[in-house]
Amino acid sequence: MKKIILLSLCFVVVLAGSCKKALEISSTRVVNETNYWNTLEDARAGIMGVYGLTRAALADNNGHWIYGDVRMGSFESPIRQDLKAIVRNDLNAAYPVINQLSNWRRFYAVVNAANIFLERVKEVKAKDARYTENNMNVDIAQVRFLRAFAYFYMVRIWGDVPFITSSRDGSFENRPRSNQNAILEFAQVEMETAALVLPYLYSAGDIQQPGDYYAQSRQRWSGALVRKLSAYAMLAEVAAWQGKYADVIRYSRIVITDMNRGGLSYVSTPVLTNRDGLFFTNSNGANDNQLFGFGFVYNNQDASFAGNLESLTLASPTVNKNIPDIYVPKDSILSIFKETNDGRFNIDTTGAVHADNVYFAGFLNRYPIFSKVKAILNAENDPSFRLFSSAILLTRLEEVTLLRAEAYAVLGETNSAISDLNTIRQRRYNVDQMGLTNQSSTDFVAYNVARHGPVIEAIFKERQKEFMGEGHRFYDRVRYEKIKQNNPQFMQLINTGGIYWPISRDLITQNPLLTQNSYWK
Amino acid sequence: MRIIATITFLGVLCSATYSFGNTTVFAGAFQQQGALANTSSAKDTAKVTIDTSIVRMSPVKKAIAKRLESKNSSVDPVKLSTFPAISLQQYLKGQAAGLFSQESTGEPGTVQNMFIHGTSQPLLSSREVFATQPLVVLDGVPLVSEHPFAEDIQQYKFNRIGPATNVYAAFDMANIQSVQVLSGLNATAIYGPKAANGAIVLITNDPGNKRRVTFDGYTSLAAPQSVTTINGRFENDFRKQFYNKYTSNGSFSNDDVYPVFLSDSLNNAFYGPANWSDRYYGSKLQYSVNASIDGGNERANFRFSLGNTRSAGVGDDTKLDRYSARFVINMKPLTWFTFSAMVNANQLLRDRNRNVRDRLAQVNYIPDLSNPLTPNITKYSEYLDQFDRGFDNNKSNLYNGYAKFAAEFGKFKFVSTFAVDYNEGYRDIFYPRTLLQTNNYASNYFGFNQRATIDNVATYDYDLNSDNSFNFALGQTMQYDFYQYTYAYAYKGSNDFIKLNLLNNDLTPTVFRQQLVYKFLDKTRNNQFSVYGKADYSYKTKINLSLLLRADASSTQQPTSRWFYSPVVSASWDLKKEFLQDEKGITEFNLRGSAGRMGRFENFDNYSQGPQYTAYIGFTGNLITPGYNGLAVLTRPYTAGSTGYDLKWAYTDQANLGFDLGFLNGRLNASVDAYYRHDKNMLLSVPSAAEYGYTGVIKNGMAIRNTGIDLGVSANILAADKNLFGWTSSLNANFNKNQLTALPGGLNQIVIGDKLLKVGQSVDSYWLLTNDGIYTTDAQVPADGTGRKMTYNGITLKSGDPRWRDLNGDNQITDADKTLKGNALPKVSGGWNNNFTYKNWNLGVDFYYNLGRQVMNQQMANRFDFINREGLNDITSVREVFYWEKRGDYSKYPLYNPASSVVPYQVNQDLFMENASFVKLRTLQLGYDLTAIMKKKSPNLQKFYVYGSVNNVFTLTKYSGPDPELVNYTGYDNGYGMQIPRVFMLGIKADF
Repeated sequence: MKKIILLSLCFVVVLAGSCKKALEISSTRVVNETNYWNTLEDARAGIMGVYGLTRAALADNNGHWIYGDVRMGSFESPIRQDLKAIVRNDLNAAYPVINQLSNWRRFYAVVNAANIFLERVKEVKAKDARYTENNMNVDIAQVRFLRAFAYFYMVRIWGDVPFITSSRDGSFENRPRSNQNAILEFAQVEMETAALVLPYLYSAGDIQQPGDYYAQSRQRWSGALVRKLSAYAMLAEVAAWQGKYADVIRYSRIVITDMNRGGLSYVSTPVLTNRDGLFFTNSNGANDNQLFGFGFVYNNQDASFAGNLESLTLASPTVNKNIPDIYVPKDSILSIFKETNDGRFNIDTTGAVHADNVYFAGFLNRYPIFSKVKAILNAENDPSFRLFSSAILLTRLEEVTLLRAEAYAVLGETNSAISDLNTIRQRRYNVDQMGLTNQSSTDFVAYNVARHGPVIEAIFKERQKEFMGEGHRFYDRVRYEKIKQNNPQFMQLINTGGIYWPISRDLITQNPLLTQNSYWK
Repeated sequence: MRIIATITFLGVLCSATYSFGNTTVFAGAFQQQGALANTSSAKDTAKVTIDTSIVRMSPVKKAIAKRLESKNSSVDPVKLSTFPAISLQQYLKGQAAGLFSQESTGEPGTVQNMFIHGTSQPLLSSREVFATQPLVVLDGVPLVSEHPFAEDIQQYKFNRIGPATNVYAAFDMANIQSVQVLSGLNATAIYGPKAANGAIVLITNDPGNKRRVTFDGYTSLAAPQSVTTINGRFENDFRKQFYNKYTSNGSFSNDDVYPVFLSDSLNNAFYGPANWSDRYYGSKLQYSVNASIDGGNERANFRFSLGNTRSAGVGDDTKLDRYSARFVINMKPLTWFTFSAMVNANQLLRDRNRNVRDRLAQVNYIPDLSNPLTPNITKYSEYLDQFDRGFDNNKSNLYNGYAKFAAEFGKFKFVSTFAVDYNEGYRDIFYPRTLLQTNNYASNYFGFNQRATIDNVATYDYDLNSDNSFNFALGQTMQYDFYQYTYAYAYKGSNDFIKLNLLNNDLTPTVFRQQLVYKFLDKTRNNQFSVYGKADYSYKTKINLSLLLRADASSTQQPTSRWFYSPVVSASWDLKKEFLQDEKGITEFNLRGSAGRMGRFENFDNYSQGPQYTAYIGFTGNLITPGYNGLAVLTRPYTAGSTGYDLKWAYTDQANLGFDLGFLNGRLNASVDAYYRHDKNMLLSVPSAAEYGYTGVIKNGMAIRNTGIDLGVSANILAADKNLFGWTSSLNANFNKNQLTALPGGLNQIVIGDKLLKVGQSVDSYWLLTNDGIYTTDAQVPADGTGRKMTYNGITLKSGDPRWRDLNGDNQITDADKTLKGNALPKVSGGWNNNFTYKNWNLGVDFYYNLGRQVMNQQMANRFDFINREGLNDITSVREVFYWEKRGDYSKYPLYNPASSVVPYQVNQDLFMENASFVKLRTLQLGYDLTAIMKKKSPNLQKFYVYGSVNNVFTLTKYSGPDPELVNYTGYDNGYGMQIPRVFMLGIKADF
């Protein structure tokens, strides 16, 4: 009897011993602090995470295009009431998409991920000898750039935003909005610091990044990461937004001068608009012309039903969808694309459309389809499945060139401005009256003040055409109106903060230190 | 002498085994007086009590703990088995006071929810629902259900991936001997933290020691209730009102597009007869057969049963087939040693609905939706025929079993149990090209949920003297839960003939493109270790006391606070024995009470990890982004919320006080329990830290209190033995009040999505604008002192906009003008059951009711908000074939300008809140006991009972929609609830 009691007690004790083990299970669904920031692969996962979050922030609800192109832009929405409201700058309208787009959380996720990376990556350096000093420095430069970019992007949308440069893990204190000028200064300094460290190309024997970056090939990294020239290109944009046109020239000159070292070239109209052209991220490389962009690589299963321009613009006949979410009305197309030598779209006096299916498909239909970007599946001609793989492209060589032209024009160096403008025109206005490309590369319709108006206007008109659907239009308009100062209605919008988005009600509820943008009160 | 020994053995064994089951079946228990209460169940219980020499491991006879329990908790399974239900939730609906069971669709086999004593969480998503479900225990095996972690990869979470079959659809009531719904800690504490929301304890029939055969069966016809169908003309006329009122040229703007399917009045598909319902709805045959055989002798016995049940929905050819087999064996190889084992196997095959929404949510791809399904049967049939070229196979295999060893040495007993519950689900889908704009789709899912339990209990009974007796128990339990799934889906196979995702030798797919094959594998484990000690004391069986101390450790808690210690005390006082011994009229007067604390089990393992990193970098419309540039990423859980190091156990404090009263010589019995249930320190993702990238910060500190009363009254109005006519009537009711008492960090309120959680208010309330009508002119819009017109979120209100009430008087309609109204869960719910007998006839009339419950009529909001929905090509704008059914009262709503950017028909206003209280006549049953007649022919016969019934006869409600019950836990009636059919059935119960 006693034996039995004793035995059963022993049994219980043995079980209790094994229980401690049973209770310590590491979740297979998340990684905890002890298992992270230890190895080279952790650093890689961290930096790729910052990229991935940036891409997510831009792609969420197709925000990049809705912020940049749909709002008061060239596009109209046939049936989506929420987009209609955005088109007419009615950003208080009670639609879920508008509320989500007025929430900056996803951009702060980029900032926070960057802050954590900058605070923690040294631990990897200390623990893993494979993680070299150079690798770390290049990583830090990219992350600092991405953080600065997130701030720049937010400032353009909301004006003043809270300024946070540490992760504050576990003690998240509410912060009020900071002055946007100071943040832009910060962004500029950060990007410039990063630009000095970044290589021209990755895994390409660059002196600033010797060897294969994270053991991946040059092709693998082509277009995927921030390079020296990406940083300068964005710096030109940051400077332009601040009105620092001398800086714009300084930065853009670096990009244009060093374009060959950065693998950059001006793209032809077909390359710009082909299915497998500029916007398609090829997994075999050759994406250097995506100067600063975020790819959705089809072969990596990144292709997505949402988070790309195509999901907004494409419809029948390009893809299997009846009515596009947004389109450019015919009147607008005709007033924007007036030149008959334009390879992107032109219509002759008889009304015959040349360059069909380039920028626009089905011009004669009720809804012309904006088909400039159409990376369907693996850049295919299949209209049946709306899975898209186009990159979110923030800037490219043409943009930098036109920014420099703009800067020259503002600073009165008209000839330099015209020269840069013509660099672009050379690639676009090179078709004959029948829409066929001229044989000679010098055979194009150059800028002419009599035909095209003052150079500054010509530059902005060119930007409207060239970057249509790339998320630039709204900001271009703001810069243009600031330069021209002759549109009282828009100046009123600028002066009262109407060019910014309202801050989501959810954010204001959570953080009482925030105040709504005055225009949207 | 030997008999006495066996009885003693049984007695001690029984008290030893109460830990796995609290498997109390007490003949004297107050039960729902059902149709068969006077006949079959009485006989069954009688038989059980006589057969004391049978070897068995289940019921407890004399445990002190039994006397501490509420008598409200038992439900009569014999009566339940004559209801054509398939799931436990359906069986128990309205049967036990305190249990609210939701049947949000009549589609058989779908997941349903149960709440015992209200909800302890705000029901924001299926995660919270999962965390509020009671534990179901079958023969001492704690059952596992489907973990919602798989929803992390789902863009649209209407159904969990996989078969999504109700795991509680695997019980055949004919096999069940007792059902108990346990709510108070005095009864549930023994089951540990997983039973913090209550427990439902099922005990299957014991084997007998004589050869016995039982047969149970019914066949029934599920018939649809009539519906009014509409066609394109009706919809067109409806919409034209708005165009006539608010536009001059029939168009709200230049870009306004009138939908093609309505603009062509010659299109017979939409403007022709709306006869789709002939194909969609139909009467369906259901049946159930269950047979069992027992045998054995005093030292060993067995019971084997087989069953097959079909439950059919009246819509969309839905059905569930269940095949079940069960084997139980008891052996007593040595006089001090008993062994018992059970295996229970079920297969559930489910034919699911063919809703467009559910299919697209599964496919995760939204084709062009501008043309809905037609109301025309020809076209609709063509659409349905496409499904025949593919498949959607849903199979679940559910197994559970135990092996128990009991050793007994005098007053010391030791019982060890190993129990496993394992259920696996398969779903294989192929949708042909014609269903998805020329893209076919294939998907395969396999997942399982598994719970292994090792349970050891040692007990010691000590009788100090004849007045004072003690039961001591020491128990220890280990539970290993493991959930896993593998899932893949693929688009655009090369043809419609190869319907499988075939692989080459190097595992590249052959038919589907590699880039369009998406594969997922996920698993989660959690383990629990518990020890407890329990001491029960009884003084002259009049005063009973019990003290239980538990220590529970869970792997889902952080290492620094892994253990949770909790006490429960309970007491009862038999006032009848104490004071009213001579009072013949009063048959029972028992006072009970208990108070205690128990941990709440956390189901998600990530919280135990502290600050953490995930691979999630998705965005709206794409949750499954695999990485960046083909490389894995790790980032903070920005979308899930920040987790710190300081998370602790959530727990529930509960107390209850009740009495059981029997008077008028036992003809009137009442059992009343007042309860207090306060769930505290619960985790909530507090929306904050957006400037650090997070949607919220996970914090302890949410507390929700449910208080209420469970009431059970049964009256033997006409006693059958004295009169030719008998009438028994029983009423059960639960009154529940829910209140949020604290939020993390001392916050007073939190907005999560379109829900407001406010301290002092109930968590199931809706957060609504108050609607006062319509502004018919711009001049009616009030202006403030500066002449600024009233705005809605910054938009100036105009003619044709709703007149929303400006509660804070700032001349702006904002969220500050929303108030909490209504309740998604009923304040009062229960059932009223009557049984009339005449000779061998009996007639059962059972009602089910919900009172004080409101529903948001989202269906109607969607109909009126057609302009916004027409424009969206997303999952919420899907129109099913039952879009062509007239549901709801169109005249209730003002004609607003639907194109206004204030979204006049947004659902969250009290215009769409409706009283959803109802009373249903759930069962009307006529039965005849043929035992006496049949016995003459075959003397072996024990029972022969035939019955016929009509179920779901009528509903009394003010709700303008189809059925106020067909609403899920959110309380929003989105129209997806398939009607609960009216069922006509004939059944038989026989024992030989």
